Amino acid sequence: MQINDQVEADRWVGVALDSQIQSASSHPVILNGRELALWRGESGPARVWDDRCPHRGMRLSFGFVRGNTLRCLYHGWTYGENGHCEAIPAHPDLAPPKTICASTHGTAAKYGIIWVNLSATRAAHVPDLPNQPGWLPVRSVHLRASAPQVLDGIAEFDYGEPARTSMPAQNACVVVLGSDTQLFFALQPIGLDKTGLHVVVNESGEPQIPRRQRLARQVARLRDTIEAGGGGVWPSPRTL
Amino acid sequence: MALKLYDYSLSGSCYKVRLLLAFLKLDYAREQVDFYPGRAHKSLDFLELNPLGQIPVLEDGDLRLRDAQAILCYLADKYDKSGQWLPRDPDLFGTVMMWLMFAGGEIMAASAARLHDSLGYDLDIAAARQKAHAAFRILDDHLTLRAIESTRWIAGDHPTIADVACFPYVALSGDGGIGHEDYPALRNWMRAFRRLPRFHAMSGIPEFV
Ligand code: FES
Repeated sequence: MQINDQVEADRWVGVALDSQIQSASSHPVILNGRELALWRGESGPARVWDDRCPHRGMRLSFGFVRGNTLRCLYHGWTYGENGHCEAIPAHPDLAPPKTICASTHGTAAKYGIIWVNLSATRAAHVPDLPNQPGWLPVRSVHLRASAPQVLDGIAEFDYGEPARTSMPAQNACVVVLGSDTQLFFALQPIGLDKTGLHVVVNESGEPQIPRRQRLARQVARLRDTIEAGGGGVWPSPRTL
Repeated sequence: MALKLYDYSLSGSCYKVRLLLAFLKLDYAREQVDFYPGRAHKSLDFLELNPLGQIPVLEDGDLRLRDAQAILCYLADKYDKSGQWLPRDPDLFGTVMMWLMFAGGEIMAASAARLHDSLGYDLDIAAARQKAHAAFRILDDHLTLRAIESTRWIAGDHPTIADVACFPYVALSGDGGIGHEDYPALRNWMRAFRRLPRFHAMSGIPEFV
């Protein structure tokens, strides 16, 4: 697999839990080796741009939010939600030319997960799940393992109760525990041997704090199990 | 009262003490130690102040203390009448102590990586980064569970010296080649910390948040 061969693919990939991207914050995210800045203004949806300031290429994720603009930490160039540069502090009287624009990407929030599509076409859909409302955040983990290893690990993990695994889309996995609990795993390929995993839960009777903490602990245990090799043989012949 | 801090502006350990002094609104004198390139902390004069040859050192009248974590405990015990920064409730006290030890222990791998990258210290950088990542994961796991309870701080429902002690080398870790991409709960905790009243920045930690 080339590190970049998925970058342009028309595909939605989960990169964070919506609840963890607070208002007025910016975050570094890596997808298939590509550095991205994930940020949210004081209101409105999260956005994903290339993590490069058009001025001198410094990382925009180090920047800070004022209103619904993202300001680069280094020289304060200020970008609006559409990516266009709106102000250059060193030249306060200059209206920045429209050509100065951050590289923006398709972003969506669904099931409590923030999804990114790096392709220009964006004809694909975010994976469809049953019970669309009612998904609650469990947690994100980042594993030293490839995405196929993580998928195998999710399927093989001992959840302590009967579990059924299905894959509604590439890089997405649903585990049904017992009769009632659905865990949804969105995989974020970071590099060849690094994967982000963003987990949400759906069960009748909204899970209370101790239940969600227990699920979060279980996801950490899943992470540690997969990293320890999990007893599986990788790469497995199971097709994705 | 005459507080005097033997200080180096680029030291994350000294920064822990400067942060708490600011949170507690305490005035103090700063004696700059030429840590780099002068290695003044290894001079015979300084070794009389701290035989370990480490900064910070705090003097309060006739009392002289070394070790950032010990200094945080002392300052909070003596000068924070509210008891917020060093809670006396036994459960919280124990929890704060546990994470203070972690700040002075496991998290210092991130300091080692930074000394390697920025000052050329001769050490096993791969091992230092790996240990720092292991420590960051433990703190991120903890803060993840805390966030589910709608609490952003390491212990209790307000910031304590455990947060002060853990913050600097987590926030400065990029200088040692350790990014924050893998640690969403750490990032949110750092942002909350930087928004505290009287928080001040240091080189490598931006003021704007
Ligand atoms: S590099 Fe971003 S403003 Fe200069």
